[in-house]
Amino acid sequence: MLIRLRVLVGSALWLLVAAFPHLATAADTDTLIIALDTLGAQVMDPILDTRAPHAHYQAPIWDSLVGFDLEKGGIGPGAAERWERGADGKSWTFFLRKGQRFHNGDPVTAHDVKFSLERIMLPESLSSGAAALRRAVDRIEVLDDLTVRIHTKGVIPHFAASLSRAVFMEGTVMPKSYIEKVGAKTFRDKPVGSGPWKFVRNVPGDRIEYEAVDYPHWRGTPQFKRMTLLLVPEQSTRLAMVRTGEASIASIGPEALKEVRAGGMKVVTVPGTMQAVYQFWGLYRPEVKGSPLNDVRVREALSLAIDRQQIIDHVMLGEARMPLPFTVYRYSIDVTIPRWEDWSKTALRYDLPRAKKLLAEAGHANGFRLTFWNTALPGTPFMVQIGEAVAGFWEKLGVKVEMKGVEWGVFDPMSRGEQKGLVGTASMYRTAGRPEPSPRYITTLNSKGVQHLFGEPDNCPALCQESDKAYEAVVSERDDAKRLAATNRMLDVAAKSWIVVPIVEGMGYWAINPKRVGFFKPIPGRHEFGDVAERMPRPEQRPWP
Amino acid sequence: MQRYILRRLLQGAVLLFVLAIVIFALARVTGNPADLLLPEDATREDRADLLRTLGLDRPVHEQLVVFLSGAVRGDLGQSIRYRKPAVEVFFERLPNTLTLVPLSLIAAILVSVPLGVLAAVHRGTLIDRCCGAVAVLGIATPPFWLGIVLIYVFSIQLGWLPSARMGGPSHYVLPVVTLSAFLVAGMMRLVRSSMLEVLDSEFVKLARIKGLSQTVVVWKHCLRNALIPVVTLFGVFFALLVTGAIVTETVFAWPGVGRLTYEAVIFRDYPLLQAVILLKGVIVLGVNLAVDVLYAYLDPRVRYA
Repeated sequence: MLIRLRVLVGSALWLLVAAFPHLATAADTDTLIIALDTLGAQVMDPILDTRAPHAHYQAPIWDSLVGFDLEKGGIGPGAAERWERGADGKSWTFFLRKGQRFHNGDPVTAHDVKFSLERIMLPESLSSGAAALRRAVDRIEVLDDLTVRIHTKGVIPHFAASLSRAVFMEGTVMPKSYIEKVGAKTFRDKPVGSGPWKFVRNVPGDRIEYEAVDYPHWRGTPQFKRMTLLLVPEQSTRLAMVRTGEASIASIGPEALKEVRAGGMKVVTVPGTMQAVYQFWGLYRPEVKGSPLNDVRVREALSLAIDRQQIIDHVMLGEARMPLPFTVYRYSIDVTIPRWEDWSKTALRYDLPRAKKLLAEAGHANGFRLTFWNTALPGTPFMVQIGEAVAGFWEKLGVKVEMKGVEWGVFDPMSRGEQKGLVGTASMYRTAGRPEPSPRYITTLNSKGVQHLFGEPDNCPALCQESDKAYEAVVSERDDAKRLAATNRMLDVAAKSWIVVPIVEGMGYWAINPKRVGFFKPIPGRHEFGDVAERMPRPEQRPWP
Repeated sequence: MQRYILRRLLQGAVLLFVLAIVIFALARVTGNPADLLLPEDATREDRADLLRTLGLDRPVHEQLVVFLSGAVRGDLGQSIRYRKPAVEVFFERLPNTLTLVPLSLIAAILVSVPLGVLAAVHRGTLIDRCCGAVAVLGIATPPFWLGIVLIYVFSIQLGWLPSARMGGPSHYVLPVVTLSAFLVAGMMRLVRSSMLEVLDSEFVKLARIKGLSQTVVVWKHCLRNALIPVVTLFGVFFALLVTGAIVTETVFAWPGVGRLTYEAVIFRDYPLLQAVILLKGVIVLGVNLAVDVLYAYLDPRVRYA
């Protein structure tokens, strides 16, 4: 009896004592805590992780040569306050800001930029655009301590954009002297950058801790003394943490929006982070010559049968937009946005009677069978629900959809190489937000691209040839006005083909505890907050409306 | 006894060898890490370059030889995702799981043993049926859902406990309850059936004839004997918790080996996946061996069989 009593009293005391550390954590108002669904490889070296994780947890520490347009999205000044393209279009000169320094006190110079770009291009580099950079860069020249010139192997009109975190991470500026002195391993253990946050601690699988710099920073001087990024894979748990104040901010999906609002939290949506599309594979191949999908009227009918507003309202709970053409966002460069906004309103309308008429004209009034691969790329699981809605609309048109749900890791290898299993089928896909349309265009539609939806070099029908020509006209054009016209033409080819068709323009979604962080604006097109945290105010500085 | 242990060690080594080959093959069935690392606009050449960088351009049989020869030396390769030795990544996370598992085992015992005893002593009564209902509930409740419900009640509504993550003692309460819940049912049924057997035995009747109180008979004499099969299955319970903690670790953002396994699968991190499963195999075999040796020590019939 006595033993049982001891056990009971002991348990009660243990629970009581246990409550204190929890309460202490919740009361820390100097720490900005962001709960994330992924911390990627959680390795503190910009050459060892890919784009999105880099923009979450490496961006606070490291600056990028080219930055953001904070209001509109797309590119803007970064560590380089300005840049110029050479007269021949094959060289780019970047002018660094004065007075930048790394966290160990070393100044940021053009030598660091040259070293960083060369390091990113090393064979062991896993960073997203390393291979593209290797193909693009001929040599790098340091003109003086604050000026660096990069010579490219050809005319690359949007080369500067590829050095912005709005696109990739290859513009990351790393400390040359420090890395050469301590070696790569120590650099990973004790990383040094020039960003507004200093590295404190990395606990694998759990968190990364930062400390704000104690001097004004050009990206913004943090209002919180510390920041912690937590890895919390389960969305319900992330939401609970924001609600209880254990975290200030958490990444969420659109399916959680109702719960967030009902729980008294705020929602921040980041426009233009992705475009959900569906696309048809290998229609140019002889084995699918007789497929109904090879009739452009059928493909247009399939688009007209989709009520995009319903998808926006019910799948995305209102937090998505009507898309512009494939790979175009409101912040895109070299594109006449108003023209394409008009196009979106008419071409992407919901018109079931017209869709049925087109299908009948094509000789498929009774529908046909269509294999549809439904998959979601990492970070956008809601693509599956969008795919289900699309399949539902097609069924309503009379198409017998054979839907194959497949995990991304299985689907992705199928989409590269010979694409045997995909020829003659449709699939869900996504294009991540980036300001220049041409790189994504070549990947998907050019005969030399990975997906080559229009044809291959040795089997390039008329549409494929027209598309390749339109693309070449864009990337070889040095005159900005002419390139704008060429880009519009290129987009026109894709739009009229109905082979890659936008469904909705998605957003990035975040749940906010308004008592832990003040009102702030995200950067359009950049889902991650690695370049936003330094401008987040305390709740008393700018309360939420 | 030494021969018995040696024989078991040899059996374990063969089992690990087979396990290594099976994991090696299965890890490669559903995709390639290079495809997940490459951006959308990567070319075929980029893919080939990356495969070369990762050492995945070699023929599969060569990769297998490299893996097996490395494994013999204790080198299970470099994690593709974390760019660190896979063994190091595993042992970074293992302590986190090992802090959770013993507590969960203790919690499961503290609940299941009294319930099992009560059910046996009150066989066929309402108490027995209530205990049975607890068992059914424990088996039927998905740990994922239970975890979320516990967070909702104790973190959001009552504000007593933190929602997730490692930390002070309070951080252990919800994950331990969730992880132990599914053990309670099995353990309770085991204790109950074992107790029923013991309650019917001659020495219990003798104890009662001698005039010992019901409490002493049940909790001292019967329970001690009834717990032997439970102790024997400790190795199995331990293995179940180590390998089955994925869900609990995911819900409570617990950086243990369960979640590491999940990450290795999702990112097709072949070396890490191979290392995690193989090392878990070593742990399970080790614990089972320890339990078997203990059992053999207690019961000579086992070691001479």
